[in-house]
Amino acid sequence: MAPTSPSTPASPATSDAPTNAERPSRRSFVFLGALAAAALVPKAGKAQGKTRKRPVAEPVDSEFPTVRQNESVAAFSEWETTLGRLVRRASYGATAAEVAKANQLGFQGYINYQLNYTRIDDSAVDTAVAQRWPLLSQTSDALFSADSNTVRAQLQESTIYRAAFSQRQLYERMVEFWSDHFNQDYDKVGYLLVADQRDVIRKHALGKFPNLLKASAHSASMMVYLDQTASTNKAPNQNYAREIMELHTLGVDGGYTQDDVAELSRVLTGWRVQGRGQFFFDPTKHDIGAKTVMGVTIPASPSQTVDGINEGEKMLDFLVNHPNTMRFIATKMLKWLLTPNPTETQIAAIASVYKATGGDIKAMVRAILNDAWLAAAPMKLKRPFHFLASSLRSTAPTIVSMATFNSQLNNNLGQSLFAWDTPDGYPDKIEYWAGNIVPRWNYATVVSALNSQTTAAVDTTAYRAGSPDAAVDLIDQNFFGGEMPLVTRNALLAYVKAGTFNDTRVREAIGLAISANAFQWY
Amino acid sequence: MNEQHPDDCGCQEYNELSRRQFITTSAVGASAAFFPAWLPRVVMSKAFASDRDIIVSVFMRGGADGLSLVAPFADANYYTSRSTIAIPRPDSTAATKGIALDNFFMFPQAMTGGAAGTGGLMPAFQLQDLLVVHATGQLNNSRSHFDAQRYMEVGKPVDPTLVTGWLGRHLASIPPLKPDAPLRALGVSNGLQKTLVGAPKTLPIADPTNYSVGGAAATQPQRLAFMQSDYAASEEPLHSAALDATNTVTLLKTVNFAGYKTANNAVYPNSSFGRALRSVAVLIKSDVGIEAAQVDIGGWDTHSGQDPLAGSMFRTMQDFSNSLGAFYADVIAMGYNVTVVAVSEFGRNVRENGSAGTDHGRGTVMFAMGKGINGGRVIMKSWPGLAREQLESGQDLKVTIDYRDILAEIVQRRLANPNLGFVFPSWTPTTFGVTR
Repeated sequence: MAPTSPSTPASPATSDAPTNAERPSRRSFVFLGALAAAALVPKAGKAQGKTRKRPVAEPVDSEFPTVRQNESVAAFSEWETTLGRLVRRASYGATAAEVAKANQLGFQGYINYQLNYTRIDDSAVDTAVAQRWPLLSQTSDALFSADSNTVRAQLQESTIYRAAFSQRQLYERMVEFWSDHFNQDYDKVGYLLVADQRDVIRKHALGKFPNLLKASAHSASMMVYLDQTASTNKAPNQNYAREIMELHTLGVDGGYTQDDVAELSRVLTGWRVQGRGQFFFDPTKHDIGAKTVMGVTIPASPSQTVDGINEGEKMLDFLVNHPNTMRFIATKMLKWLLTPNPTETQIAAIASVYKATGGDIKAMVRAILNDAWLAAAPMKLKRPFHFLASSLRSTAPTIVSMATFNSQLNNNLGQSLFAWDTPDGYPDKIEYWAGNIVPRWNYATVVSALNSQTTAAVDTTAYRAGSPDAAVDLIDQNFFGGEMPLVTRNALLAYVKAGTFNDTRVREAIGLAISANAFQWY
Repeated sequence: MNEQHPDDCGCQEYNELSRRQFITTSAVGASAAFFPAWLPRVVMSKAFASDRDIIVSVFMRGGADGLSLVAPFADANYYTSRSTIAIPRPDSTAATKGIALDNFFMFPQAMTGGAAGTGGLMPAFQLQDLLVVHATGQLNNSRSHFDAQRYMEVGKPVDPTLVTGWLGRHLASIPPLKPDAPLRALGVSNGLQKTLVGAPKTLPIADPTNYSVGGAAATQPQRLAFMQSDYAASEEPLHSAALDATNTVTLLKTVNFAGYKTANNAVYPNSSFGRALRSVAVLIKSDVGIEAAQVDIGGWDTHSGQDPLAGSMFRTMQDFSNSLGAFYADVIAMGYNVTVVAVSEFGRNVRENGSAGTDHGRGTVMFAMGKGINGGRVIMKSWPGLAREQLESGQDLKVTIDYRDILAEIVQRRLANPNLGFVFPSWTPTTFGVTR
């Protein structure tokens, strides 16, 4: 793959006039006091020697030029290849093995490989998951009597494990995306979430969006989470009716009104849960009066019958075929996979793919991850879950128990899985996560020091086999896919050389690599 | 009612401020070196205002039901609208009866530490340091949690170009309380809340009692130096965050959280909200230069099984009230210059739904607490009433006071910041006498 200059106007995006939100980032010489403080820090090696090439920033004279939503942060100049950019976007970390695989397959070959995920042999991970976390394959009936905290831990630990070690990396990235899109809080839904994750999210993560949305609407877990199961004809509950439009399909500016929320909640009365997590339609709780939702009229029905469910099904079809849903899903997928600030051209292009393919998620992902767009895309900040999975891919520890890692996510890093209590899911915004950096440094210290036969162990033998230079080279390959920024490389090498070259020093260097600026981005 | 004037958006005031000379008294001149270059040209208060209040801003996330928190027992429609979840009148014989605040409103027992009515937030109210504002909220009528929270935290509705929070702009437009403070404000959170976005030297710190990079003490300085150097070349917002973080790690090492003894035998609940307020109390008393903290409490989205007498909302209110009550006894009653404000994005429907809960509504309550707050009262513009024809859209308590009116007076009078047009753009506040 030929190196592509980030400034090459190869992207369709550049044909747009930049909107307010997509101006390139300007350099960071704004916090004068902070920089002055930094100047007091001794420089390591030639760390400051190389100036990074950035797209030219335009002067900004708005109120807070450095505090913009979804800051566009230009990629490191060392991130030269679009293939490397693709691997970083399509995986939880560009390890040496992942980069080698991509180099072997080429740009399109690697996308095809990742998208046709069922053809990727993932049996090693499947076997490990089945052995370590057996509750996940059980029915809700069986899970009902299991210890709730055990179920939660199995769900969390297996999710981290799959993200880190599954060969189906792009699929896992989309599992995370949809888990936030259809976010639920384990504290509210409990064991029901196991079936939702398995039979809704994982089943359709790279399927068709309409099928995914409908599966979610028939998920007991979702019915409980958004109080749909408590909604009746006598007193409809608007929670699910609102969020299915605001968060799952149309988006908050998707053209519905408070009246539409109320009317849709009437349409959906009778969608309930019975027994231990069985979705069912209860005609006796269904409002048979006439309704109008966003101009769609549903005539009154003479009596309460099982056919009443069809009113809701009709509205789900309406929602998944609505142009605003296509735009909303396209925008959100673009933000996830490509850029915090997608252009109107990009949104329209991906929405048209949705329209042409009936909401085929694979087709949309393929359209988003094109080389021109990737070459021009800014970096994204890893969220804590992503960061943790990256660290596991790069350190490749021998794992006896995932408890340590899950505990770090739950108690330190700030992204406890299935614990975001509101239905919007964890934010994917730089300005939300940027300040939360010390817990990452703390975690990096913990993971790099792991050397336990009962929990997990990071083997440093290979790093100590040669010279300090060779150790840093290996860190570059394993942690940065061979594209470690020079400034980090120099400082890391200086650190390794500043002490005795032994296990302790190497572990500290690994901790610093995980702590480094470049490891936080993808 | 105080209407917004889109054309006369307060921009006039802002522009006027911008044209004025940047006041450079010696104190401000010294502190200006710590100011980002992008700081808009606004008026710095001449006095260094070292006696100005520290602010603790609480967001009750999820849409808190003001009609349970501070219930209008004298409005008969309250009882007809809520057949299963109303708080019994204070003069009733019910074991779960409310505790009267005046002849119209009452606290549920969850807010008063029980039936005796001597705990929770009751002492602060009785000592006239707790003010309740009722039938308040925001004029924008979004019933989306996420839009409504954003509008409230930003301090201006429906403006996609404004991403900073009102508290962030306050901090950015006033000199630091301590000129050399490495950390001026914190959000007790894993991520920075929108309220604080834009504030200089401000970090989200979920647990201030455990804020370190770990590892061998001998190499920690070198490892921190690596981080400072490595992130010095990074882009905003990570750049400042990393540098502030390294300084804050050093700062918080000097604070003894574990050995902290509360004043007045205050006991913070062992909840995330209680622990957060305890940490904030320690930081305030450590005098390290913290001048604002944003603390969140969730659990208010009571669509079903609300049960303010013994169930889920009872527990949420109890946590809220006991935690703030402990903070009052531990900090405010000791004479520290601290103002607490608590807001929520909206209230809930007046009539309960079929699942003994309430759906998203409009008007609710907010709280202000401190020695500088003219409390012991429930204020409102006028009670809008709970009869169907008195409700917004036939379902909700009307908003009679914009929350910014309350916050603006506190920003001006307690936080000594004259730049109201900057902190609350496009808003001309009305004063309700919330401060002493």
